[in-house]
Amino acid sequence: MSAVAKYTWIGLTAARSNLAYAGEAAARTIFLGVILFVFLQLWKVTYAETGAERLGGLTLVEMLWYLAMTECMTLSTPRVAWEVDQDVRSGALAVQLIRPLSYPLYRLSVTLGERAVRFAMSAVVAAVVALTLVGPVPVSARGLACFAAALPLAFVLDFLAYFLIGLGAFWFEDTTGLTLIYSRVTMILGGMLLPIELFPDALRHVARALPFALVMYGPAHLFVRPDAQFASALVAKQAVAVAAFAVAIGLVHRAAMHRLFSNGG
Amino acid sequence: MDARVELEQLRKTFVQTVRRGLRRERREIVAVDGVSLAVPAGQSVAFIGPNGAGKSTTIKMLTGILLPTSGSARVLGLTPWRDRPALARHIGAVFGQRSQLWYHLPPRDTFEVLARVYDLERAVYARARDTLIERFGLGPFLDVPVRKLSLGQRMRAEIAASLLHAPKVLFLDEPTIGLDVVARQELRDLIREWNREEGMTVFLTSHDAGDIEGVARRVVVINHGRVVLDDKVSAMRRKYLGSKVLSVRFHAPPAAIDLPGAVAVKATEYALKLEVDTRVTPIERVVTAVLRAGPVADIAIEDPPLEEVIAHIYSRGDAPDTGEDDAES
Repeated sequence: MSAVAKYTWIGLTAARSNLAYAGEAAARTIFLGVILFVFLQLWKVTYAETGAERLGGLTLVEMLWYLAMTECMTLSTPRVAWEVDQDVRSGALAVQLIRPLSYPLYRLSVTLGERAVRFAMSAVVAAVVALTLVGPVPVSARGLACFAAALPLAFVLDFLAYFLIGLGAFWFEDTTGLTLIYSRVTMILGGMLLPIELFPDALRHVARALPFALVMYGPAHLFVRPDAQFASALVAKQAVAVAAFAVAIGLVHRAAMHRLFSNGG
Repeated sequence: MDARVELEQLRKTFVQTVRRGLRRERREIVAVDGVSLAVPAGQSVAFIGPNGAGKSTTIKMLTGILLPTSGSARVLGLTPWRDRPALARHIGAVFGQRSQLWYHLPPRDTFEVLARVYDLERAVYARARDTLIERFGLGPFLDVPVRKLSLGQRMRAEIAASLLHAPKVLFLDEPTIGLDVVARQELRDLIREWNREEGMTVFLTSHDAGDIEGVARRVVVINHGRVVLDDKVSAMRRKYLGSKVLSVRFHAPPAAIDLPGAVAVKATEYALKLEVDTRVTPIERVVTAVLRAGPVADIAIEDPPLEEVIAHIYSRGDAPDTGEDDAES
């Protein structure tokens, strides 16, 4: 059996396992409905006050669908760094190492499987809420194809960042601070609350140059404003960022394993 | 001898940093101190010792997840820390406190995942799975989510999962921890049967004397990183405590028994429990004295509990006894 089939099966199993969390999923979707309603009221006032039809290039309808997508992405984020941290501290990592598996690929498969289910469930609720509140956003097959290409890469990139933080457990007493910083920076510079077109000029340039926007802003923007050129640039940047993070993880993971094999963790 | 596991002067030290005021001192901790042993194919060995004795460190080196400071080890002809990916396909491990089962899914799903992890052919997997379902009695709960299983059922599924790829060596770390008496006994019987029928080498660590007696034929005691006893389980009691427990019930109150090395640990009007040091007074003399002391209704001679023997070994010096004369393979 090929390695791809092996890890795909692990991902599918993780997805099925995650369906057991029906209560947690329901709680998340209630929160999603509430937050989208609040955002709608805020943006309605903002659009009315400014008298603009578009803000940051987006209409009110597009803005709410944009926020629906970024919220779905945020709420579907698994606790990767925490899980890696716990695997290191509890010694569960050692159990994984005595199987013919790559630990980073195993964690990636589990995370993608878990996130696919959580994102799909949130997206269904978000779509119902957004349709009810503002109606449909124009979608095309091409737009959906671009979104479908960018979203998995965004999830992989997000996983790599959290995995890297989790590996910090080999050197730091606690990695929750780093996790908190990364998640908050992704929310702000990644464009969860505001599309980065609305940022002040200097900050917009910084946000565009950093990988956070590739995780959230890019795919969400692509969903509401499909554009082949934007999509190909985004996917290319995501691929480069994934490669860079993968190299960083390769180095850090190697150092961590050396530490584990020499000192027992 | 076809040794499945061989250790030669295996040693592991760790450097510990201790803060003393503003200064930091580094000191060397010896976790494993020149352990040598050979475990032949199909043997079941209990590897025991008090907390911090070096058991886990040794097992980590044997499974390839810890580098030794010096010495050598071969498991199935492979050097564990150098050939870990290859070795992983031929060894299994059960950690009583860490589950490999998917908590929200039935055991069947974990089996499916493991079949893919170990690259088992479908026909080979199906045969192994069906055998394990039958032998471990997994049928009634194979499709029940793990979170709904009792601990006993979960551990049966756990051990079956670790046997799916037919490992040649199985490492068991506290496999019966937390189980009730019946579930413990069932699990020990299953492991022992599998070991005898499939010829799998079993390497068991446990603090439970019942596990040691129920599963292993050979016991290796490690303390302060060194092997302090390597012998048959059956010989351990005889050699290391040299005592017997004599329980007697009388038809009438007995006369006093005064023999050197025989201590009454419990006495009522019609019953007596004596702990006898057979190195001081042979058991036959004590039995004769008991029969003279009064009309005996019932008498039982027992070995002391294994826990006592183990505690005695832990508390004595580090002089190793390899018991090579009668160690069985």
